[in-house]
Amino acid sequence: MAKAPKLNSQPQVVTANHLLSGDVVYLTKAATWSRRIHDAAVVANVDAGAALLAEAEAQAKQNIVVAPYLIPVDASVTPPKPIQYREILRAEGPSTETRPAA
Amino acid sequence: MYQYDEIDQTMVDERVAQFRDQVARRLTGEISEDEFKPLRLQNGLYLQLHAYMLRIAIPYGTLSSRQLRGLAQIGCTYDRAWGHFTTRQNLQYNWIKLEDTADALADLAKIQMHAIQTSGNCIRNTTTDQFAGAAHDEIEDPRVWCEIIRQWSTFHPEFSFLPRKFKIAVTGSPNDRAAVRVHDIGLRMHKNDAGEIGFEVIVGGGLGRTPFIGKTIRDFLPKQDLLSYLEAILRVYNQFGRRDNLYKARIKILVHEIGIETMREKVEAEFAASKDGALKLPQEAIAQIAAQFAPPAFENLSGISADYANAFRTDFEFGLWARRNTFKHKQPGYSIVTISLKKEGAPPGDASAEQMNAVADIADRYSFGEIRVTHEQNLVLAHVKQADLPAVFKALKAYDLATPNIGLASDIIACPGLDYCALANARSIPIAQQIALRFRNWERAHDIGELKIKISGCINACGHHHVGHIGILGVDKAGEEFYQITLGGAADEQAAIGDLIGPSLNTQDAVDAIDTLVETYLRLRKSSDERFLDTYRRVGLAPFKEAVYVSA
Amino acid sequence: MSLLKIGPLLKDGRLVGEDAFQPVADDAALPASGAVLVTYARWQAEKDQLSGRNAPLGIVLPNTLDVLDFGAEAERFDLIVLNFPKFSDGRAYSQARLLRERFGYRGELRATGHVLQDQLWHMQRSGFDAFEIPREDAAEAFAKAVKSFSNVYQPTGDGRVSALKQRLAAYNTKNGRKEAAE
Repeated sequence: MAKAPKLNSQPQVVTANHLLSGDVVYLTKAATWSRRIHDAAVVANVDAGAALLAEAEAQAKQNIVVAPYLIPVDASVTPPKPIQYREILRAEGPSTETRPAA
Repeated sequence: MYQYDEIDQTMVDERVAQFRDQVARRLTGEISEDEFKPLRLQNGLYLQLHAYMLRIAIPYGTLSSRQLRGLAQIGCTYDRAWGHFTTRQNLQYNWIKLEDTADALADLAKIQMHAIQTSGNCIRNTTTDQFAGAAHDEIEDPRVWCEIIRQWSTFHPEFSFLPRKFKIAVTGSPNDRAAVRVHDIGLRMHKNDAGEIGFEVIVGGGLGRTPFIGKTIRDFLPKQDLLSYLEAILRVYNQFGRRDNLYKARIKILVHEIGIETMREKVEAEFAASKDGALKLPQEAIAQIAAQFAPPAFENLSGISADYANAFRTDFEFGLWARRNTFKHKQPGYSIVTISLKKEGAPPGDASAEQMNAVADIADRYSFGEIRVTHEQNLVLAHVKQADLPAVFKALKAYDLATPNIGLASDIIACPGLDYCALANARSIPIAQQIALRFRNWERAHDIGELKIKISGCINACGHHHVGHIGILGVDKAGEEFYQITLGGAADEQAAIGDLIGPSLNTQDAVDAIDTLVETYLRLRKSSDERFLDTYRRVGLAPFKEAVYVSA
Repeated sequence: MSLLKIGPLLKDGRLVGEDAFQPVADDAALPASGAVLVTYARWQAEKDQLSGRNAPLGIVLPNTLDVLDFGAEAERFDLIVLNFPKFSDGRAYSQARLLRERFGYRGELRATGHVLQDQLWHMQRSGFDAFEIPREDAAEAFAKAVKSFSNVYQPTGDGRVSALKQRLAAYNTKNGRKEAAE
């Protein structure tokens, strides 16, 4: 796995996997989880990022999500787009799926 | 085929109940994710990039048609109606939910299958020759020994928390189709001077970050001592294998660090103390298991079937397929058929539920209801009457399963890569698809002949890139996908680790480079009989390297 | 290595109220009487004194110890404690089997450290008969875990008959009967 870049004051969101379904999820402003990065709470400084992550980790302890972490995003577009291609794949799904049944 | 008795069935049923309880304890928070993770992994459940992935064990790659239909059904019920066959002869579902997993495992148990020990630092599914029990060059059916190992290794109380995962492979033929020299333990059946059949025991092979070809620890091991000897090796490894560094924890590093001689001394001392104990295999116990692998009721056939000969002559497509995708059977009048899961442009090793059902039907009709999974991510019908080959070809073709490319450039091994895998650095499937499309022209592909291209999306080497004639390894270079190319690897009886040709390339350049390498080979080869690998071994790295980096 | 007991002691499926063995730190004086538990290092340094005491003796072995170097002395002890620093570090399983099956140790064999419910079955099959468990209310779950599987595939020192041997016995009985009938 590629190392996450150091996050300073760039736009960032918190992502995780949902415990029960395994789905990729993003933390929203309402401190709920959404499958769409469109709904993610975007913050743009270290302290706000840390606070967002702390909220997510509290929810991980309540067995809602697994292993939350911060990722940098390009917030100038809608929805915000992750910077790392690993995260783009997580947000958008596999770049290739199996051929449909014959 | 081996059928579960009440003991086996009770074991898997109890395992499902145990896992259901573990999931319940995880959901109440009684156990943490850190504690739960190894438990779910020991049941084959990974948390991947997009979802949970469930890895099903296909013991030594053998399936009944009923089991394959069951896998298709489970794929439809709990996943997206397809599955991915892996280099460990396993099947993976990529879109499983934790809340469904116990139910999926319960359905698997009903068809005598499970996901036990398909992950975790334990003894994994033992793999073998996909042509076992059918190949003309076989000394003895290795599945008998795989099943004996399966039982011994399942829930082994001493070896469930090893320093690292542990993989065993067995070949019953001198032509190694099971890659035994790149496994933690490889077992090669052979005859000694007295004419007795036993095992050459090879230890410390493996791919990953530090690839090694295994070393022979014992030339000849009598059959009845197999489990005692395996337990001796595992006991030495469990105690002395490194646990301080994930990348140095495999047995290959222990063998490398203490040397094969010291390793042998320790193992032989342990073996000497235990060989006449409870693990010694009574002749009758071996016979009981062997009876379950008795050959099917072959017909007595002689000569070449007229239908087959006629189709070979008149149907060009069939002839192409029959030449490439069938293999000599030990029983006159029969052939082994390899079903390609490598249609150019499709993800290697994937099969839809519909295709699985079709293969199950074809197996019932033409191959005693039995299917094999190969470590090269294809399927096999082990016992097809030659007279039936034209009908089998037609039936497979209707489901896109008759691509005539076994062993050719487009028959690529690829791991799921970054499209699915949380460990990957780069994607494997798209580059495999692009390369395969370059070799879509059958004339060119058949002219090139045998060429094994193997792709891994990270250094863990699930795609066996080190032992590809051409190996491709995905790396992350400043946030971009790049690929390293190696040449000259081989997984067979002349196993070798490939040589790195130079700096990594971006996706487009890597795909172009494969073309360049193949063109270079075609230019340099002495005759069309000289394979890519042979040419490489004869001329070495330099001309290939130059062709790629000068032109690039 | 710490000699402090970290949790309740489960033995023969029941909670033991009081451990008979008093742990003694390496730098503490030996009590005049009573069962004591000492480290392997102390045993190495004070074999004579410890052997001279007229009381049960227990020892804690590091999981890095090659028990082949210790096994011959095992019978002197009434308690041997093996350590799981992390549940994923499985070295003590091999130590346990060697002590029981190679060296015939018959005293108490106790698992300490990161001892989890789901590992208990493996531990018991490897020869452990006592466990320092994390919580008292887990005793019931632990007792259940030991019975997770009705059958076993491999022979160990616990004496359970492997599936292979069970089938062989069934086969021989059947054939024996058949022969007798003929």
